[in-house]
Amino acid sequence: MNRRTFVTNACLGTAGFFFEQAASRASEEVQLPPPPPIHVHGMPLTERSPWGMPGLFPGRVVEVFHSRSILQNHVSQPVVRLMLEHGMQTLTGESSAQAAWERFFNPSDVVGIKINPSGAPACCSSPELVREIIRGVESAGVPTRNILIYDRYSTEIQAGSYHALLPVGIRVIGLEHRAREVEAYDLNVYCEANFFGEWETRSYLARVVTQQVTKIVNVPTLKDHSAAGVTGCLKNLGYGSFNNVARSHHAPITFTDPLIGVMCSTEPLRSKAVLHIMDGLREVWHGGPLTQLQDFIDQAGILFLGTDPVAVDTIELQTIEKKRRQKGALSLWDRNPANIVRSEREYFRDPHKNLFFRQPAHIEAAGKLGLGVWEPSKIDHRRLDLG
Amino acid sequence: MRGDEVAPTHEDFWAALLCDNSRAGGQGPWPGHPPQNARWQLRLEGSVRSAPVLRDGILYVTALDGKLHAIETVTGRPVWEFQAEDRIHSTPSLSRNRILFGCDSGKVYAVDCRSGHELWRASALAEVWTSPVVVGDLTLFGAADGRFYALDVATGKTRWARDLSARIYSTAYATERQVYFGCSNGNVYSLETTSGRVIWSTPTGNGLDSSPALSNGLVLIGSEDFYLYALDATTGTIRWKLATGLGIASSPAVAGDTVVVGSKDGYLYAANIPDGRLRWKVRAGWVITAPPVTSGNVVCGQSMGGGVYALDVQSGRRIWSAGLGESVQSCPVLTEDTIYLATTEGMVYALA
Repeated sequence: MNRRTFVTNACLGTAGFFFEQAASRASEEVQLPPPPPIHVHGMPLTERSPWGMPGLFPGRVVEVFHSRSILQNHVSQPVVRLMLEHGMQTLTGESSAQAAWERFFNPSDVVGIKINPSGAPACCSSPELVREIIRGVESAGVPTRNILIYDRYSTEIQAGSYHALLPVGIRVIGLEHRAREVEAYDLNVYCEANFFGEWETRSYLARVVTQQVTKIVNVPTLKDHSAAGVTGCLKNLGYGSFNNVARSHHAPITFTDPLIGVMCSTEPLRSKAVLHIMDGLREVWHGGPLTQLQDFIDQAGILFLGTDPVAVDTIELQTIEKKRRQKGALSLWDRNPANIVRSEREYFRDPHKNLFFRQPAHIEAAGKLGLGVWEPSKIDHRRLDLG
Repeated sequence: MRGDEVAPTHEDFWAALLCDNSRAGGQGPWPGHPPQNARWQLRLEGSVRSAPVLRDGILYVTALDGKLHAIETVTGRPVWEFQAEDRIHSTPSLSRNRILFGCDSGKVYAVDCRSGHELWRASALAEVWTSPVVVGDLTLFGAADGRFYALDVATGKTRWARDLSARIYSTAYATERQVYFGCSNGNVYSLETTSGRVIWSTPTGNGLDSSPALSNGLVLIGSEDFYLYALDATTGTIRWKLATGLGIASSPAVAGDTVVVGSKDGYLYAANIPDGRLRWKVRAGWVITAPPVTSGNVVCGQSMGGGVYALDVQSGRRIWSAGLGESVQSCPVLTEDTIYLATTEGMVYALA
């Protein structure tokens, strides 16, 4: 790997970090521009949380499969409950699901559930799974009023009807109601970089993260991403908690590597994200993150659980790459300029095309920032087949 | 009409979601030709998630900046605005001189529609996204606190509240005897209008975000379980259900013996009301969550990824479409010469 990472000021508790990285790997086919330096202005912490990424179980990924978790495109909540309970027990080694949840949460916590509604309604964090996560968090004694659901775009939350599908008392928070709203963001916590000469060079972290919640359950989906390669734990958390991130893409170039990892390592996001439950009940193997085309959505029937987002995303990357290989689609690592198209419509309908030179190496980059284990051989991948 | 089915408090204007409480939509024959130009357009400070209503040359629009706007329809000039204490997702409804709506803090307001002055306010315990429906001297609405409320429409005093322990985002269809709505626990409810007593409840396979219509003695409502249901209005028995490709948050509109509803699969479905037979389905966007409206032989609506569309209600044939922004819950107001639209980006258009 040719990656160079400089951390010019990495003292915990101070505000400033600088990251600078060279062009990422697999650049044999095309010479990509190096990313600019990223200035991180995080929140000072006196002590890093032991629950923070990579969390209580670095390198551990639990994959739970159930063949009846989706029937006729409907998610079965009882089956999801079973999957989640077994997954949590396997992740923690506890003998009961409640004890497993209690490893992460206590009654004084305010818990944010970071959903991924960007593919709603065809592929998003399933409300059935979110309801079971709420049940789990409540079983650890967290009052319902202290549980909230959040994501950046209220339109996407509304398209998923989360507001109408969750229990009474759960707050549902969309950070932005229309383009360029910044009221919901903390202007003291940001990542700053000038990628393409944009006028606003800062991305601010949501106030719900900096000021409201004490812990976060991250609920990404198993999904291909036109720029990042895949959108998993890291991308859902980073690009879904900071604003103004689309500026890191200017087709066919994207700086998701390194920005995703840098954002996730920013405090207090890093310390508060304690559990990652990836919804792989449906698997988008092409056209993510927004596709609604069922041609590219398989009913995989999987949940991935872990505290290490890098390890979970590494397994996700392998899973989607394998699926794309089976389907005869381009590799996520493809860098052939001849496969790049300008038309989103063409890309969405053709898995042999790319909009961007994808950056799946953002996962490895995040691992090298200390967020988790990226080497596949070091990942403790535990599989549960529940039927 | 059958049984208890009376269009209550029918006013001769676009007074409520889908025009009036009959949910038929439209206020007379609409030519159906494509609009040629925007007579005016107005940018509001907040995103619009509700449907406008119209009376006496004034268009009333609520927005997420917490404002109720009164806009003069000839010029597009703002007449007055009223600031609520939180965001407004609720479609306003008109009753006599009052305009009623809820907001995210749980407050429900009655505002004088001529002056913009507050007449009264009442409180639920969580957000009110539904549109208050007026029947007789009651205004009826559900809230996210799991309760369904009946208030005195003149004073805002609570007459009764029924705790169903499940969030309510479905705007009620109310008659003098019964009120119908869906709930996040997957049940469709009928309550006694005067007391709040549960007359029947019928489970569907998932929560309900859709608002019901009533026709031919049937309660028509979509569910997140992907089905459009037709329930016997008296007993709640399922008469038929029609499968769509994904969940239904859109509210059905009725045109004669046809019901039209949008699904999140991006298709608009038209079914025969007596037996549920599918008449046609047409893709009208990537995702449809907003209600369609009908007028004469035209069904018109807004979608995500498809802008505004107008279809022939008999065949589903596309008459015209326009990329004028998107909507998650708003639907157009149709008059004989103008279409009024509001979008998620806060634009309000008068198209002629």
